Amino acid sequence: MQTESLTINFGGLKAVDEVDFAIADEVVGLLGPNGSGKTTFLNLVSGIYRPTSGKIIFQQEDITGSGAHVIRGKGIARTFQTNRLCLNLSIIDNMLLGLYSKKKSTWWQAILQPKQCRKELRQNIEKCLQLLEHFNPDLVDKAYDPITSIALIDRRRIEIARAIVGNPRLLLLDEPTAGLNSEETTQIINDIGKIRQGDQQICMIIIEHDMNVISSICNRVVVLNAGKKIADDTYQEICKNEQVQTAYLGG
Amino acid sequence: MQRAAFASKNSLVTLLVSVLACVFLYFALVGSLFVALTVIGLGLALIVFGEYMGKAEAIHTAFGEHRILGIAVLIMFVLTLPFLLKGNNYLLHIVVMGGIYSVVALGLNFQMGSTGMVNFATAAFFGTGAYTSALLVTKFSISPWLGTVSGLAAAAFLGLLFGIPALKTRGYYLSLVTMALQVIFTLMIINTSWLGGPNGVPGIPAYNIAGFSFKTSVVLFGMKLPYQANYYYLVFAILGLAVLVAGRLYNSHVGLAWNAIEQDEIVAVTQGINQTKIKLLAFALGAAFAGLAGALYGHYTSFIGVENFDFSISLIFICMVLLGGMDNVLGVVLGAMLLTIVDEKLRDFADYRMLMYSLILIIILLARSQGLLPKRIRKYGKLRDSKIEPNF
Repeated sequence: MQTESLTINFGGLKAVDEVDFAIADEVVGLLGPNGSGKTTFLNLVSGIYRPTSGKIIFQQEDITGSGAHVIRGKGIARTFQTNRLCLNLSIIDNMLLGLYSKKKSTWWQAILQPKQCRKELRQNIEKCLQLLEHFNPDLVDKAYDPITSIALIDRRRIEIARAIVGNPRLLLLDEPTAGLNSEETTQIINDIGKIRQGDQQICMIIIEHDMNVISSICNRVVVLNAGKKIADDTYQEICKNEQVQTAYLGG
Repeated sequence: MQRAAFASKNSLVTLLVSVLACVFLYFALVGSLFVALTVIGLGLALIVFGEYMGKAEAIHTAFGEHRILGIAVLIMFVLTLPFLLKGNNYLLHIVVMGGIYSVVALGLNFQMGSTGMVNFATAAFFGTGAYTSALLVTKFSISPWLGTVSGLAAAAFLGLLFGIPALKTRGYYLSLVTMALQVIFTLMIINTSWLGGPNGVPGIPAYNIAGFSFKTSVVLFGMKLPYQANYYYLVFAILGLAVLVAGRLYNSHVGLAWNAIEQDEIVAVTQGINQTKIKLLAFALGAAFAGLAGALYGHYTSFIGVENFDFSISLIFICMVLLGGMDNVLGVVLGAMLLTIVDEKLRDFADYRMLMYSLILIIILLARSQGLLPKRIRKYGKLRDSKIEPNF
């Protein structure tokens, strides 16, 4: 995936300003002070916002301005900073939503219920359960429980699992450790590491404030400030970068 | 040994609850206003008490395990009801109207219960079906069956057409737009003379099969049944089909997508749900249900007028879904049946009828704001089945 001078204006504010970005088979950390445009950047890539100008290219295809559901279908999945699961649905239903973009049955097949439609559902359920087992085996037995009945860390896990169950090529994680304590942070980081082990081809963009997280899982770090990209290097080099220190700590 | 005992207990629970439900419905129907209200109050108290004691989930599970048994009891009840009512044509008429309204409410539930789009134009879709079929049959003398299918198609088409601009808005604004459609529909009918204007469309022919008109009474098992019984069996066959379709949609990816849209549109689209398409589907399918019911209504009553399809009727449909239980197929049918029965029983109150009607609604919703049978967690049966290979 790459972007070419990606820009979005909200009124007079350039939230993301001519960002050139590229990712290929790696884990990239996205850093920046509050309000620097990190989440807006993810919203642009996942199709929630339409860019004012610039291009987004994914697997040699221009996807600029495509709807969010089209982009998901092409293999870009994301999680949200504030946990966004469907609260009145069960764990398994939330997981099944992650496979929606992969489904082959149409609405009239849902009414007529031919054999392949039922088979698809059973296969999807099995796939969701296997992934849940991978993250936390306890969740498999609770699959019918409402999502509101489980702990925050498990909700975070389910959100990540929902994003990767459809085997996306690019995963966008928006602050996966927000609101978790240090022990839970370690667990989530382990889980994210497991995703890379399980699927070598998946690339990730992670927004994170915790430098330990960034240093332990990212191959490369991109720093945004006031919508502009100010650095793009390894973690060690970024730490020495004066511009980054100024942006974070003030002149 | 123990497992067998447990299984039989669950089947007993299913049998007991479904028979009880049928008995309650029967007495609510045949009794006077006082009896009907007592029965409904008792039923309500049982539901609230059951939930309070934590038995509701167990009953739900029991029904899940012995669905066939529950369905069999209901079908037996539906089949024998005309005989139980001893061919009373007034009571049969109430049940037929309840069946017709249930189909409409099931359609509205796709929009309101599943997707969270409160549609105030259901009566307009109901009317579209009724007028299309009635006019085609009276003016071009086509078969009423064909007219009914046209009514369904016309309503679905209107739903689709109307959905395209309406879906630019959300929430309250969407509801406002649907109110506008309802007002336009009523005014258009009143002011268009070839649609019957304020006089309505009289003399709509009844259905017939191979020369047998549905307006003739029949003798079945030695009992003379009024012509309403023909319509009763027709309407309940269609209602059964509607329940089947609605239940399957609810348990499929379509129902799931509708629920996701209702919860959080941003999350839904980032899971790959095409929200325009799935919302239009809710509109078109809901309208199709309403159109089918409308056509049935026209051929049953043989007269339709604009007052059968105005804004207040739309409100009643909304109350049915709200009272029965949003996004619960059986709940919606129960809500529609009960409100139709209550509405008829309140005829004694003449001018105070709507006042009483609203009062009963308020009391029920105070006691149970989530509706009589609220939304439940979707069940897919036993989850782990060793025979199934996941498809990676």
